Amino acid sequence: MTRDERYHIAEHWFSEQNWKPFAFQKQTWKAFLQGKHGLLNAPTGSGKTYALWFPIVLDFIHKNPEYKTRHKKGLKAIWITPLRALSQEIKQSAERVASDLGTHMTVGIRTGDTSTKERAQQKRQMPDLLITTPESLQLLLATKGYPKLFKDCSAIVVDEWHELLGTKRGVQMELGLSRLRAISDNIRIWGISATIGNLDQARQVLLGPNSEALEKSVLIKANLKKKITVKSIIPKEMETFPWRGHLGLRLLEDVIPIINNSKTTLLFTNTRSQCEIWFQKILEKHPEYAGEIAMHHGSINKETRVWVENAIRNENLKAVVCTSSLDLGVDFAPVETVVQIGGPKGIARFLQRAGRSGHRPGKESVIYFLPTHAIELVEASALQQAVKQKAVEDRMPYLNSYDVLLQYLTTLALSDGFYPQEIYQEILQTFCYQALSEDQWQWLLNFLVKGSQSLQSYDEYKKVEVEEDGKFKVNNRGVAMRHRFQIGTIVGDANLTVRYQKGGYIGTIEEYFISKLSPGDVFTFAGRNLEFIRIKEMQVHVRNSSKKTKKVPAWGGGRMTLSAQMSKLLREELYKVSLERKEQSRELKSLAHIFKQQRLESLVPKPDEFLIETFKTRDGYHHLFYPFEGRFVHEAMGSLLGYRISLLSPITFSLAFNDYGFEILSDQEIDIEAIIDNNLFTTDYMLSDLEKSLNSTEMARRKFRDIAVISGMVFTGYPNKGVKMKHLQSSSQLLFDVFRDFEDDNLLYQQAFTETFEHQLEEGRLRTALERIATQQIIWKSCTKPTPFSFPLITDRMSREKLSSEKLADRIKRMAAILTKK
Amino acid sequence: MTQHIEIKNNTFILHPLSVVFWKQKSILIISDVHLGKVSHFRKFGAAVPQKAIQMNFDLMTEAVQQFSPKTICFLGDLFHSSINSEWHLFETWIAQQDAEVVLVEGNHDIISPLKYEKIGVTVVAEIQADGFLLTHHPEEREGFFNFSGHIHPAVRLRGAGRQTLRLPCFYKSNTQMIVPAFGQFTGHFTISPKKTDKVFAVTKEAVFEV
Repeated sequence: MTRDERYHIAEHWFSEQNWKPFAFQKQTWKAFLQGKHGLLNAPTGSGKTYALWFPIVLDFIHKNPEYKTRHKKGLKAIWITPLRALSQEIKQSAERVASDLGTHMTVGIRTGDTSTKERAQQKRQMPDLLITTPESLQLLLATKGYPKLFKDCSAIVVDEWHELLGTKRGVQMELGLSRLRAISDNIRIWGISATIGNLDQARQVLLGPNSEALEKSVLIKANLKKKITVKSIIPKEMETFPWRGHLGLRLLEDVIPIINNSKTTLLFTNTRSQCEIWFQKILEKHPEYAGEIAMHHGSINKETRVWVENAIRNENLKAVVCTSSLDLGVDFAPVETVVQIGGPKGIARFLQRAGRSGHRPGKESVIYFLPTHAIELVEASALQQAVKQKAVEDRMPYLNSYDVLLQYLTTLALSDGFYPQEIYQEILQTFCYQALSEDQWQWLLNFLVKGSQSLQSYDEYKKVEVEEDGKFKVNNRGVAMRHRFQIGTIVGDANLTVRYQKGGYIGTIEEYFISKLSPGDVFTFAGRNLEFIRIKEMQVHVRNSSKKTKKVPAWGGGRMTLSAQMSKLLREELYKVSLERKEQSRELKSLAHIFKQQRLESLVPKPDEFLIETFKTRDGYHHLFYPFEGRFVHEAMGSLLGYRISLLSPITFSLAFNDYGFEILSDQEIDIEAIIDNNLFTTDYMLSDLEKSLNSTEMARRKFRDIAVISGMVFTGYPNKGVKMKHLQSSSQLLFDVFRDFEDDNLLYQQAFTETFEHQLEEGRLRTALERIATQQIIWKSCTKPTPFSFPLITDRMSREKLSSEKLADRIKRMAAILTKK
Repeated sequence: MTQHIEIKNNTFILHPLSVVFWKQKSILIISDVHLGKVSHFRKFGAAVPQKAIQMNFDLMTEAVQQFSPKTICFLGDLFHSSINSEWHLFETWIAQQDAEVVLVEGNHDIISPLKYEKIGVTVVAEIQADGFLLTHHPEEREGFFNFSGHIHPAVRLRGAGRQTLRLPCFYKSNTQMIVPAFGQFTGHFTISPKKTDKVFAVTKEAVFEV
């Protein structure tokens, strides 16, 4: 069959559906059939599944001319999706095409939700197309004889690649691909990504820099035009609108008409607890919506989530309160309107959410922005600009993640074992490990086999063994079993399942929250009020309760920060405050009274000004700095400045930071003149100063938590099993201290610092920010009371970092006086 | 540096190494060493640095040299789990001691008492002497002042400017004293002291009453 004949099959199918293939779909078919690899840049709901699934089927038809009568079994293609929720949708479209074209191709799903029985079946006979997650792919690599499974696999498609890129799941994917390239004779690698700033790099990471695959690859852009309209909800009584807050409930009534005027509305919140609270409150104030609104977030059980997703599709719901769990995939045609509650922090995320409405090619997307506190309206104004300028962020890929590599090597040692020389050559082809030296490689091998770099007497370390022919292999069943449970790179707090006493799974909740409850306490979860009965074998038993409660579980993880692009737009908006009124956006105009208040004792900075405010309250001396660079950069800058101040004279203080600035709070007054005179904002010695600041150690300590789990140093226990593994559970904190005291050249320990500097403190952005401040005039305002800008910062009691240059003894003596005793 | 406290006309010295010395009886009290924990983790595939093993022994030696006691009393949880290679090191260490060595059994101590007796360590459930009671778990008993371990107490200190600090501590009530964990590779539990309690925070150099 010629290539043209094959295109014809596809085009014929489209015309039967009364559709016309998009240019990007045809381009993808062609490139794929030419044997190329590539990255397809297309948004959700644009028909990207057909762009790649068609050529896979056509290729199969080409290789098996008698496909209608004789079916050749075995895995032909793998479809990787980062979210289990998306797999059903992909399966349906794939099955439809396969059967319409008269093939007997089968489609199977393999994720954490797949039953043991089904998995065993799949292992005996793989489906033709396997839809799976990065973690489940790794688990397949942990099974004996895995190369046979993948031998005839001709394609792997990594969907939503932008979501994986810049995470350790992405690194895991790079490693999986490096192995597949070696064991599958003729595999084509394709990625699908939404628009991000660094698409070219995304392709490099997927295919490997300097690789043959990259040379033989294409980047295809869908270029679909989409009109996005952003509407800010501006409080009617601006004067009483709060200066701080994060829930936004005050504007609940303004959302009601939006919901009423639209077929289906999605309300995006930034956290799961905020999602729970909004859902409760809407029902409380508007009971008439009962049955017509629902909630969707990652901790709710799968059945409920699937039910909600189907109900949206069938137009049974007026509104759904959700989190990023509905950011991706799934085509929801009935969604007409989207509401974003609170700042989305990033432009790409905001655009993605906006795109959830009017989810058909050519339709307009409408998104409302609901501010949770006054200053957030500046963010709204900046988002308007972002949409106009089509600014999007980069996703920064990881380099040299030793923890993920150690996990991967253990995985390979577990199934068929591996020969180091072979695997070393493979991983050098990946983006993440392109610069891994032989010394580092040897270090990692020693770590796996000896648990150290030198052999010592009486050591019983057991993990990977080296067999006579040089093969690295795990032979201990205990090691193997523990490792299988731990494959993955998403580390959370210990999660407990929540169930009714008589059975009935409700969802998962973090141990930390439950540990603060006592039996009889009532809390809100999955939209219900539940009474806590007891914890038994990693399960939380509850019963329904009619009691009212204010307890809502807080889920840890990801406080988001403003991206560099977003921060820049935010600053530019703020500078407009000094312009004439007619040049200001609606949002800025509505904030006039706050800026007036701000100017009473302080000012709203202009482009060439850097603002510092100081005042004293009961809590101590407040020193506020406003770079408007996003919370991560502020954390770094606060830490750096704090360290430098502490060199001037012994002092102890705590740091608070948000997206607009940071605060140094101390029981002593800091001399701002001395900061200016000593040029403490300089970029000279920036890195070494950062390293010395206590804060960077604390941050590295937190990073180390994930590293310790991923690398297999800390065992988190068996999921949902009552097996007591306490004697093996240690805190990563303890380990961190042991490494610091005894083995600070350990690569995993050092990785914690590298990640802190590159991913947390965003060293590069910090430098740029300091360089910008160097060109600005520093304006110091000594105030008598807190200003509107300072308010959200000084009232933040949560995220405080401490720093001290005083002698411990001196501190204790002063603190002892006020030790809180019950 | 150290803190001297008087209980029932006896003197006890609280030392920054997280040990207590009972002056009149010349007993050195060491609690929750958790020997073998590092090796135990290594055996199960977690590569904790081996250098951390020697540290426990070095510090024990330092504590003994400081006071030259007649008796060394371990207040339980001497070994973290079943016997492993660290037993050899312990055996060697014991051979170098002039003092009598007693182990008050703790919940982690699952190694047979016979093994201990073979190397000259006496294993007991508790010690009673002169109105003092030495146990692993904290206990209230009529007529006795109780010394115990098990909890791994730490205290959180707060200062102006919302600063906080967490330190291991000796935790004393009217009838009890809970000794901090000695082991290098052990965690801590933050206590909430009552008004009538006394808390002695431990730093590398000194013990402070707070």
